[in-house]
Amino acid sequence: MSTTVLASLNTTTPLLQVERLHKRFPVTGRRDSFLHAVEDVSLEIAPGESLGLVGESGCGKSTLVRLLARLHDASEGRIVFGGEDLCETPALRFARSTKRHAIQMVFQDPTDSLNPRYTARQTIAEPLALLSSMGVAEQRARVQEVAAQVGLPSELLDRFPHQLSGGQKARVGIARALAVQPELLILDEPTAALDVSVQAVVLQLLQRLRRELGLSCLFVSHDLNVVRLLTDRVAVMYLGRIVEVGPSDQVFRHPQHPYTRALVSSIPGQGPRIKLAGEVASPIDPPAQVCRLYGRCPVGQDLCTRQTPLLRTVGNDARHKAACHFLQPT
Amino acid sequence: MSAQRSTWWSHARHVIGDNPVTLVAAVLFALLAVLALIGPFIVPYDPLASKAESALQPPSAAHWFGTDALGRDIFSRVVVATRMDLGIAVSSVVLSFAVGVPLGLAAGFLGGWWERGVTRLSDTIMAFPLFVLAMGIVAALGNTVGNIVLATALINLPFYIRVARAEANIRREAGWVEAARLSGNSDMRILAFHLFPNALPPAMVQVSLNMGWAILNAAGLSFIGLGVRPPQAEWGILVAEGAQFIVSGEWWVSLFPGAALMLAVFTFNLLGDALRDLFDPRRRT
Amino acid sequence: MTQASTQPPLLEVNGLSLEFRTRSGVVHALEGINLRIQRGEIVGLVGESGSGKSVLSYAMLGISDAAARVTSGSAVFGGLDLIKADEPTLANIRGREISMIFQSPRTALNPIRPVGRQIEDVLRRHAAGDVHQRGPDLGQNLRQRAVQALREVAISDPERRVKAYPFEMSGGMCQRVMIALALACRPALLIADEPTTGLDVTTQAAVMDLITDLARQRQMAALFITHDLALAADYCDRLVVMHAGHVVESGPASELFSRPRHPYTARLLSSTPGPGTTLEDLKPVPGNLPDLRRAELPACRFAERCEQADDRCRREVAPVVVQGTHAVACWHPLHAATPSEESAV
Repeated sequence: MSTTVLASLNTTTPLLQVERLHKRFPVTGRRDSFLHAVEDVSLEIAPGESLGLVGESGCGKSTLVRLLARLHDASEGRIVFGGEDLCETPALRFARSTKRHAIQMVFQDPTDSLNPRYTARQTIAEPLALLSSMGVAEQRARVQEVAAQVGLPSELLDRFPHQLSGGQKARVGIARALAVQPELLILDEPTAALDVSVQAVVLQLLQRLRRELGLSCLFVSHDLNVVRLLTDRVAVMYLGRIVEVGPSDQVFRHPQHPYTRALVSSIPGQGPRIKLAGEVASPIDPPAQVCRLYGRCPVGQDLCTRQTPLLRTVGNDARHKAACHFLQPT
Repeated sequence: MSAQRSTWWSHARHVIGDNPVTLVAAVLFALLAVLALIGPFIVPYDPLASKAESALQPPSAAHWFGTDALGRDIFSRVVVATRMDLGIAVSSVVLSFAVGVPLGLAAGFLGGWWERGVTRLSDTIMAFPLFVLAMGIVAALGNTVGNIVLATALINLPFYIRVARAEANIRREAGWVEAARLSGNSDMRILAFHLFPNALPPAMVQVSLNMGWAILNAAGLSFIGLGVRPPQAEWGILVAEGAQFIVSGEWWVSLFPGAALMLAVFTFNLLGDALRDLFDPRRRT
Repeated sequence: MTQASTQPPLLEVNGLSLEFRTRSGVVHALEGINLRIQRGEIVGLVGESGSGKSVLSYAMLGISDAAARVTSGSAVFGGLDLIKADEPTLANIRGREISMIFQSPRTALNPIRPVGRQIEDVLRRHAAGDVHQRGPDLGQNLRQRAVQALREVAISDPERRVKAYPFEMSGGMCQRVMIALALACRPALLIADEPTTGLDVTTQAAVMDLITDLARQRQMAALFITHDLALAADYCDRLVVMHAGHVVESGPASELFSRPRHPYTARLLSSTPGPGTTLEDLKPVPGNLPDLRRAELPACRFAERCEQADDRCRREVAPVVVQGTHAVACWHPLHAATPSEESAV
């Protein structure tokens, strides 16, 4: 995706603009081999918009998200946030950057993402102590404020994680992320580890917070039903590449890419299942011109081995794109 | 913070009351600590006073543990030695801990050259039979209490390094470490304020076991003449002094110091689990 | 809960009650559980975590926690009461007549043993009774059967995979290995405890397809334990809904899904995002599971979370009301049946 194409799509300056991001990990034991976790990813998020990111294990969404949160450095590409290229500060030093507070994350497993030796209060207060200029009293007040916002009763604030339920821990994680008033909130499967009834509560909470605070969100999940509810647009990833992107409702109702079609059809209750043959290909040294889905794809043809498809517009909606040579708009 | 302190005490009481073994260990430890602190003031005889006439007397009402070859009261010497032995043990363990845990955490968390350097150091120390290494250090630097502490601390270093490194390796990928980065923590802060508190519980068990070994180590060095010098009272020396008399039937000269040694090491081993429970908030109800 | 069938059920649980003795009190984990599974039937056991689903299956197989005590009831399998059976009898049944697969496939497999060997272990254990299987080529025979078992669960290249270790395989493949392990001796009943939690949607679909296909092929009954009502409705013939140690409703899957009669089932449905729902439609189940250590639990354990609950619900246990094959235990069921259709059991 060239930058000129991106620019023409937006009437307002996007909050986050990712340009041709790559992440390659060296493979231990093999000198010139690399694992392509993220390949040529470009996307943007407008202020106040919620973008969903779906894909299955191994598709690279966790890596992508950690690149955006500046926990790791990208191999190539730019991450433009509020006009500044974040990649210029290495990840190791980003913790002390002035932009650190602007991008925060809610993690998948609430139990794993809370330090077992810190009380809820200490966990929520820490980013305030490190990233804001608030005094102790102000911090205390802010912790109370954000705890109330996420529906966490104040008597629970002095408890340790093992004394809290799953839903309560999830709230602590959300409160911690919101404490420093981020502009972009990344949610990495925030309800995957929660029970169904608690999940509903947390989802409604997230929706309410989005509206009240005008947050931009990047919502990562493998649960398509959940993603559809909380996002304006969605991007589908497969083996490190974005294969389809567009307005959520449209992508789910009229998926264009063969992988998206298979994914949507696997949701229980969605009728006949489109099965993909075989297993996911290896992300190590993938051949550059072959489409990543080739071999499992029901549509696959010779052209697919000679030229990796790029994202192109489907039908009339400029916002809906899919990377396939053989798009058949339904 | 006072609210936290009071819960700490009630947690301590809970841990002690929960398990009878812990209670026994706590009582014994308290006894040892008291003896170490006030021992020299409550003993009936001067531990250094020799009286040739009352040499090698068996245990009696006047001398509970009997007397040694120089007529000194063994009971007094054993009690006074508690301070020496415990002092050596505590100092060397604290030193080992203070150096070993940060090194291990850095090795496990930062990897790279830190890991290579620290593991080389640890491997080098462990390549030697530890007691022989301690002997070598004391022989080279001289028999002072300070050098005994140093030698003991050095040979115990690898254990702390290993425990801390293992913890850091496991926790390195934990969600809360990543979250800590997002909250603005630099790597050093994560090591100090996040990883270190979590490495405490297993390190505590190590501390307790080490106390036992440190005492045995000091006693062993003294036994072979490389440790504390006479006429100072130290359990190892006392055992050494009595060793030659076992064959001739004066069993009490070695037995009581040996029993004291055994009791002390036993106490510290029992204490290991209790210490870990004390420091681990997950065991709080 | 009755089922219109002339055949005796394969597994019949009657009035099973179980409690845990813990330091903080007695936990009344199960109370008066009734459950029936016919030969070749696929039953889904659904409920929130903590509702007692796993406890029930562990109790049936005799692998409950040491603190568990069955206080009443029976679980009759092929004429034998599993609750009263002794350990050697149960050990022979486990893996051979009744098999179980668990939630995290990677942790349920032995990490230091190749998967083929693990399958052979099961076969060897239960081959002890089969005279014609012993002999010098038992090893060779077992190896071939292990390869065959892997082939049957659609693992490609089984001759090579049979020597692989669990860490070399993906989550979905490990789950297939676990299925192969469980089905190696052709059991009559398979209990699957949350087999797809944590797996991707497409892998989930593939695993569920595999289990149901094998079940149908071999006329094997299956009990699916899950908290995902939609998944259960998609794959099971019948659903049994549990709440806090009680069975509250059971019936044909499609009927239960479209016309739930117990308020709890309805709430479970309405709190699950589906293809057609919006965020505002989602109605989470209010409150939390009751603390099962309380001595004074209300007769209906859902009473405190239910809008329709009244005094009677708290005092008296509602009888089971059956309408065809759809049974519900509630004083105020939704879509109430007419008096002529009601019959107490």
